[in-house]
Amino acid sequence: MAKEVDRRTMLKSLTISALGLGSVVAFGDLIQVFALPDGQKVALARAVILADMSRCSGCRICEMVCANLNSMGRNSTSLARVFIDKDYLKGDYQPKLCYQCADPPCLNGCPVDALQVDKKSGTYARVVNEKICIGCQSCVEACQSYFTPSRATFDAERQKAIKCHLCFGDPQCVKLCPLGVLRVERSKKGLLVGYPAISGD
Amino acid sequence: MTPKGGWVGKILRVDLTTSKITESSTFDYVPRFLGGRGLGAKICWDEVPPEVSAFDPENRLVFATGPLQGTLAPSSGRFMVLGKAPQSGPTESFCRSGVGGHFAPELKWAGYDALVVRGKADKPVYLFISDHKAEILDAAALWGLDTYQAQQVLWKLHGPKTRVMVIGRAGENRSRIACILTDTGDASGQGGFGGVMGSKNLKAIAVRGTGAVTVARPKALMQTTRHIHSLFARKPAKSNPYEPEVKGFKYNIWGGGYGRGGLSLLPGELQDLCNDSSSGYSQTPDGCFACPVSCRSRVKGPDITGGVAFCAQSYMYLESMIDQPEKGYSKITWQAAKLGDLLGINAYDLMAIIPWLADCFHEKLISEKDTGLSLGEIGSWNFISKLLNQIADRQGFGDLLAEGGQRAAAKLGGKAEKLSWMYYPRAGQFGGYREHWVYLGGFPTGYALPPLALMWVLDNRDALVSHSFISMLWGAAFTVGQNALTAVPEKISPVLRPVMKAAYGSEEAAEFLQPDGKSLNWKWAAPIVKRYHEHSLLKDSYVLCDILFPYLFNANSPNHVGDDTLESRLYSDVTGVEMSPKESFQKGEMLCTLERALAVRDGRTRQDDSFHDLYFEKQDAGGRKYKREDLEESKTEYYKLMGWDSETGKPTLATLQRLGLKDVAEEMARRGFSRS
Repeated sequence: MAKEVDRRTMLKSLTISALGLGSVVAFGDLIQVFALPDGQKVALARAVILADMSRCSGCRICEMVCANLNSMGRNSTSLARVFIDKDYLKGDYQPKLCYQCADPPCLNGCPVDALQVDKKSGTYARVVNEKICIGCQSCVEACQSYFTPSRATFDAERQKAIKCHLCFGDPQCVKLCPLGVLRVERSKKGLLVGYPAISGD
Repeated sequence: MTPKGGWVGKILRVDLTTSKITESSTFDYVPRFLGGRGLGAKICWDEVPPEVSAFDPENRLVFATGPLQGTLAPSSGRFMVLGKAPQSGPTESFCRSGVGGHFAPELKWAGYDALVVRGKADKPVYLFISDHKAEILDAAALWGLDTYQAQQVLWKLHGPKTRVMVIGRAGENRSRIACILTDTGDASGQGGFGGVMGSKNLKAIAVRGTGAVTVARPKALMQTTRHIHSLFARKPAKSNPYEPEVKGFKYNIWGGGYGRGGLSLLPGELQDLCNDSSSGYSQTPDGCFACPVSCRSRVKGPDITGGVAFCAQSYMYLESMIDQPEKGYSKITWQAAKLGDLLGINAYDLMAIIPWLADCFHEKLISEKDTGLSLGEIGSWNFISKLLNQIADRQGFGDLLAEGGQRAAAKLGGKAEKLSWMYYPRAGQFGGYREHWVYLGGFPTGYALPPLALMWVLDNRDALVSHSFISMLWGAAFTVGQNALTAVPEKISPVLRPVMKAAYGSEEAAEFLQPDGKSLNWKWAAPIVKRYHEHSLLKDSYVLCDILFPYLFNANSPNHVGDDTLESRLYSDVTGVEMSPKESFQKGEMLCTLERALAVRDGRTRQDDSFHDLYFEKQDAGGRKYKREDLEESKTEYYKLMGWDSETGKPTLATLQRLGLKDVAEEMARRGFSRS
């Protein structure tokens, strides 16, 4: 049932999220929907991919699995919905994944409601409905005002936005990551992650 | 019909003399020559005749990817560097060198299957390639910088996602043992192609691509990829990224005995620091592009040069462990290897030069005064830092060593040259490479094995590109409770019988010794080496990594039988072109014959397929010897199996024609090399 997030809960989630992505908050039976001050409501995601960057080998298999599977065989990290930021000299590798935000800027920014909540698979992931997407890239811009790189990107060949849809419940990047960097956090109650609890990388 | 996937279709051609940049179609060469080593061989056959020397502007520097680069295919981060090689010697000849890391996929995404550089710029330049475009840019500010510094400048200019192949001062000064480095430790070492880049005034090649490689059968590729992942690796345990989560599972490299890569083989100061989480030092498994194994580690710490560590590149200066035994593998051992990377010197030749210098000093053939090197303290930082800088700058004695150990020894002549044969086994005109026999302690300290001897005499570089062949031998050793240094051939043969039947067609191929155990069994050397060459050519042309492929030995199954069809399955999944095992081996045979034609055109004869006397004089650890007459007989058999002239080792015209190499046959006939 929809209920508004009160100020105390918000503050609590902000504090916890400051500890990093590992501390995802799953709420009791109170919240399944994140409500905005203006009253608009979005069901919370029930799954999200988390990363333990300390063991990332930088092999980029996650990106390639994603592109190969989700972009119909067009293999390129540019078409991936996961991102590995690498500083080779410092040996600093950062897997960056879509937070499936509680209050998703991409979804809010979409002018045609192409960004939808995937209820069918049960993940409640924020997904692009390609039939509706007009390729305006508003979602890309919306995301990148908080996150770098933007977790929604643009497939120039097909003129459509693309973003992580959790492989409809069974994320293949998680399965194929050889170092066990990625894992899926699930909660039937909904996960308060991403924006606004986390707003920036 | 153009294949549905794999190749992106264009070869980028750059002439640095005229600054002209053009494109040609990859499909002029493929699918026939596949890519990588096969593609490079054909380009060099067409464009680099024997009259062109390694540092001649007319030499081509070929960077060749294959159909699998830029895709999910496991270990497809690799590509090949090819051309007339300055290191092979004393005759410069066509050679190849593989590189891992992350450069190859970027080149494909930028729209090119290969890059061919010719000519010589009149001032230092670098090449920037991005999305179907290339520019020759001024490198005045980069010249003289070390390999890390130069990359940092280029990342600042072109963004951190740009991948770079760069030379250090050794390459700039045309050392014959200069490498081309990418990121922090992946390099094209063999062949000395860093010197070729220097001779062209080309400091670096930077590439950034945002395009894609089309895979013909993406679902099949997923399936094959998952299968390969499951054969080679498991997710690690929570407590230790080097241990598998599934107890008892063996990472299927090096015969399954050593796990994921890292400093674990050599304990000491640096590893202790890495294991102490409060020290500020750490090591983490590091993967080449699309590789599930991570045979390398990246090492960092507050007062060391960080970067990836892999085998010889990090084990270059083991003398430091003898110098300071209490420290073992120390910060000095590490920094020495990293200095080699920064200056762009091939670590593997240094592993011959350093002990050879020690031998010469010991025999009073060289002195500290003549060389300006502290030869009395080999193992120290003082010695190695001076040595490497001297080589990179061609300063004093370093000018001679920059020619590579073999050429330096030949120049000194006499006893100094004889001493070098311990490290450079191949006699004749196509030597230049340090011994790398690894098997059971190497030879003569370990055991003699006929197939290894035949592989070595037939090549013109380190023949053991197929690490997986050695992994098979090591795997058998681990299975019987021995290791790479202690196993004896008699003990491992029983384990190898089913494995070698699958890979080489007969259980008997696993019998390296005569039944009495007193002498070597040469019967299977030629057929094994023929298939080994076919495997190698395919793997280097698709292009995949030799740590994984061909997959000969399964450390995790009861009979240990591998599967040498995996590479071709990946090829078919990606390109949509069918490739049966039989067809694939025929392709390997054709490419091997093309390379032999290149060698023969460069002047190779049967006499060059041989060892220095030392290798026939010494007994191995089992009291057995390589006999010259056995090797000669085995060579004849190998030539026959390949359809080459059994007396001269030159491909016959009939064979070249049978393999569809008509233009090669014509030129061989014109030059008087081949009889029909």
